[in-house]
Amino acid sequence: MTNYGLVIDQERCIGCQACAVSCKQENNVPMGQFWNRVLTEGGDKIDTPSGGYPEDGGSGSLDMQYQPTACQHCENAPCVKVCPVNATYTRDDGIVEIDYDKCIGCRYCMAACPYNARVFNWDEPDHMPEEGTGDVAARPQGVVEKCTFCSHRVDEGLDPACVVNCPADARIFGDLDDEGSTVSKYINEYETDQLLEDRGTNPKTHYISGEMSPGRPQTSDKMESELDDVSPWSDGSEDVPAEASESDSSGSGGSHHSIEGDAAPHVPAVGSGGDD
Amino acid sequence: MTDNDGLYRRDVLKAGGAAAALGLGGGEFLQGLAERGDETAASKRDPGIESYVGQNDVIQTVCSPNCRGKCPIDVHVRDGQVKKVEPHPPEDEQYKRACVLGLSHTQRVYDPTRLKYPMKRTDWSPDEPNPDGRGPDAEFERVSWDEALDLVADKMQSLKADFGPESVLFHVGFGNYGQSGQAFSRLASLFGSTQPASTIDTNVGRGFNRVTGTGFYLPSTNESEDWENANTIIVWGSDIFSSQFQMDASKVLDAVENGAKLVVVDPVYTTTASKADLWLPVKPGKDVHLALAMMHTVFEDGTYDEQFLRKRTTGPALVRKDTGTLLKSSTVFEDGSDDKVVAVEQGSNTPVELEPETDGPYALFGEYTVDGIECETALTRLRDHVADYAPSKVAEQTGVDAENIRTAVRWLATRGPGGIAPSYALGRYKHGHIFGQTYAMLMGLTGDYGQHGNIHAHHSGGATLSTGGWSTPEDADPGPSVRFSDYPDAMIDGDPHKIRAAYSIESNMMGNQFPDRQRFREAIKSLEMYVVADMHHTDTVQHADIILPVPHWFEQEDIVSSWGSHPHISYRHKVQEPMWEARDDYYAIRGLAERLGFGDYFPETKRELLRELASRDDAIDFETLSEQGTQKKQNIPIVKFTDAFPTDTGRIKMYDDDAPSEEGVTFDLPRPLEDRTADDYEKADEYPLMFMQKHSRFRIHSQYEMLNWVREVNPEPQLDIHPSDAKARGIEDGQYVRVYNDRGEMIVKAKYNEAFQPGLVNTDQGWWSRDYLKGHHNDLTHNEVSEIGQTMSFYDVRVAVEPAPDDLDTEKYETDNPRGTGAETSRAGGD
Ligand code: SF4
Ligand code: SF4
Ligand code: SF4
Repeated sequence: MTNYGLVIDQERCIGCQACAVSCKQENNVPMGQFWNRVLTEGGDKIDTPSGGYPEDGGSGSLDMQYQPTACQHCENAPCVKVCPVNATYTRDDGIVEIDYDKCIGCRYCMAACPYNARVFNWDEPDHMPEEGTGDVAARPQGVVEKCTFCSHRVDEGLDPACVVNCPADARIFGDLDDEGSTVSKYINEYETDQLLEDRGTNPKTHYISGEMSPGRPQTSDKMESELDDVSPWSDGSEDVPAEASESDSSGSGGSHHSIEGDAAPHVPAVGSGGDD
Repeated sequence: MTDNDGLYRRDVLKAGGAAAALGLGGGEFLQGLAERGDETAASKRDPGIESYVGQNDVIQTVCSPNCRGKCPIDVHVRDGQVKKVEPHPPEDEQYKRACVLGLSHTQRVYDPTRLKYPMKRTDWSPDEPNPDGRGPDAEFERVSWDEALDLVADKMQSLKADFGPESVLFHVGFGNYGQSGQAFSRLASLFGSTQPASTIDTNVGRGFNRVTGTGFYLPSTNESEDWENANTIIVWGSDIFSSQFQMDASKVLDAVENGAKLVVVDPVYTTTASKADLWLPVKPGKDVHLALAMMHTVFEDGTYDEQFLRKRTTGPALVRKDTGTLLKSSTVFEDGSDDKVVAVEQGSNTPVELEPETDGPYALFGEYTVDGIECETALTRLRDHVADYAPSKVAEQTGVDAENIRTAVRWLATRGPGGIAPSYALGRYKHGHIFGQTYAMLMGLTGDYGQHGNIHAHHSGGATLSTGGWSTPEDADPGPSVRFSDYPDAMIDGDPHKIRAAYSIESNMMGNQFPDRQRFREAIKSLEMYVVADMHHTDTVQHADIILPVPHWFEQEDIVSSWGSHPHISYRHKVQEPMWEARDDYYAIRGLAERLGFGDYFPETKRELLRELASRDDAIDFETLSEQGTQKKQNIPIVKFTDAFPTDTGRIKMYDDDAPSEEGVTFDLPRPLEDRTADDYEKADEYPLMFMQKHSRFRIHSQYEMLNWVREVNPEPQLDIHPSDAKARGIEDGQYVRVYNDRGEMIVKAKYNEAFQPGLVNTDQGWWSRDYLKGHHNDLTHNEVSEIGQTMSFYDVRVAVEPAPDDLDTEKYETDNPRGTGAETSRAGGD
């Protein structure tokens, strides 16, 4: 069986917010909402440390780490249990997902989720451009939404958007049931934590902290399982097949999908010739 | 978070009893939501997750503000709209990159601040410029491109006839790294206008240059692909993981993972410091003292690299005791030269001429008499000079524990190749060039030049398209150049000559980014015509007489240099046609050239221009570049400083007998000199806090200020202040404060931040006027320039802080606006 999971190496994470914004972009997340938040583990506010500034010229007690936090895709997901209409469910590959058609907006799942991973569309969702961004349709007002592990990408053999765009190689996605996958190896090799382990939710998101891992260099947007001959212990670049980079053109010439509205200007495609 | 309660809750942190905190935080949040009413039960439905994967057209282009990314990116377009941005793996895939800003371009392309049409200030005319009409209340009217270009060309011609071409300034900033600037400079050269001497905000490289013969803002350094070979990386005054290197972060992290030691020297506990093996919390302005203490340790430990010193430095060169100058070969040998210097061979004490890149048994230390002239080696002088700077002696002054000073430099000296990555920030102090000199010599002692794993700056050199002087045609008679910092004197007082009109591209400097902003405002007011081309309605644009709307990068075709970044040249393909009436800068430049009589010098289309420029660079082939999107310049050396240094002797100068001096201090050897950080600075009591304006991950200078998504995380300017400094002034966390000095003021929200050294406060730079409740960070900075450093000293600034007045209107940051910006729509937007 396939059982998808995510490893986040907090020793590598530089809190750059690329994953937070990649997620918004890819998943057409409305203004004012984040499915993926880069929290600061330290002071009370973003980008502030805990501890005190050293007075003796030493390195002192200041401490700060980043904890990117989205849906943890719990093995034992409390949100799934409480949904009265089975709108929240676990896919065969372990991804916890919401059927927005079924969601009645009761928000029991939000109360049940210990990770605050879920957001609710109180108002008509607002996007810029109005027709939205990324590669999934907008969700309507009145439903709950959250990280899907980018199931629409995973279904096409692509890594989640936040994983592809992490400049620190700190996010590693893969199959926890495959012992040879990088995620499995790292969970064995390094000290990893799950958030709020005492809740018994058994999240499939694991955090490395203490000793830094080599991460997983991303020169392609394909999932590890789609690549031949990748050893997570190597530098990566030689192991990634050269064709992998061609996946960027996979979309060319695809059929067009119509979306309503005309808020942002639609401009003609590029003509031939240089600039006038 | 101060930033966005609810939205960015941190109550799921695993550390510190998170479960308990969680119930509370989660509960509050739900309650908050419930209060907002329950009328919104799902009423509308879309099908589940509807995917568009594979349905986009994907066009490769380049993001290129003045950052260290220059990221080739893929833009996904669907239904005539930009839907997303992804990094585009360049020819050398390890340089795949993009940051939070480049990934948010959808927010920039469609932002209401974009300029749509050419505009003219309503009350401006060539003969009646009405300078007082400029500023926040200026009104604009739409004109056609032809009208705009006619007005500009006619005014330029009449100024040229009456006052000479140098009365017009062609100002170009660093807002883009395409080729329009080449055409702009070409037109400026042909016209004979004044051109800028680009002396902006950092002078570390100038000091480094005195030692090694190379370096300007900063020296070059090994390309980032080589950084993983470093065994010790001392990042000095730079938050490289937030700015400069975040897109290459994995390369530093890989080095650390391989066992490299990461040292961060910074008064601020930055993101980078949080990753360090050792953090040295230096006091602002005390960096030279600290580096001298490191030299002291190297001498004391005897860990200097003797072979390197003999082969590649003037360490063994003899200094005459009578004159303090280096003993010249011509003094000792009949056929000796004036450029060459002399050492003695160890043991025999025989004088020998020092050749570049030549090893020999030269004595490194000692006093010797040659032809009756008493001398000592340069290294002896340096050692004796730094004898005064024992770590234990400077510990208090620098704020850094003595043992930590020793540890840091011992790692550098004894763990194999490594380096020091100093920042621009060090050069934002008036005399920052001295640090450049100091660390260049320190790395000479440790022998860290020319090998894999050596680092000399906080970003790499990257690749620039070589266009072989195209911007200065042979038959042109270029006008004078004036330093950025001297603009106001030229515009207001006619010193060195009067500038009466300015045409500005790729820059928001005059209205936002230059220090002592009010003085620059005054300078603008003294002009008869101010023409500004930009993508957005910036503060600078608001002060213009003629506004030329430039399309977003996705609507331009260009070749982009990767200066300071990665070793590729990239092709900017047009993703879509320009929206509204925005036109490439090249359209305006060529249109003006035609009107000014230089049309023949400019190819008709931008693509022809690009072809012409690319043909001048032997390492680039236009077709390959255009098809591949990127081309790695194979002639860029990955490891720098492998050959003789471009100094007189071909060697690193460990003693400078031709050194400049300022304020009575001579830099034959590195000597600390401070301006406002000096302990006895005269106004230190009146303005007790040092004020810096850090580069954050949320803007590149003033670009991307408008991004909705980023502003949800970082909504408004803040003052980072240590809680002890805040409490002493009765300031609470999150309270608005007035920050002021004798030049101006600003009002921002205080952010208690233990990361900041007491006595040092910060507002991240790049915010626009509209983001402040009052004033602006550059109303506080000054425009005083060191004659040696020549650059603006943004961080060498003192301020006082007090609670903001009670009657403050804070509404713009209190409204329930998910976009988090208090910004009005731009007045010159047009429609
Ligand atoms: S996996 Fe996809 S949906 Fe989940 S946080 Fe990452 S980008 Fe967002
Ligand atoms: S993109 Fe990577 S480095 Fe940046 S915040 Fe996310 S996990 Fe951390
Ligand atoms: S802003 Fe700079 S680092 Fe960020 S994506 Fe653009 S070019 Fe890259």
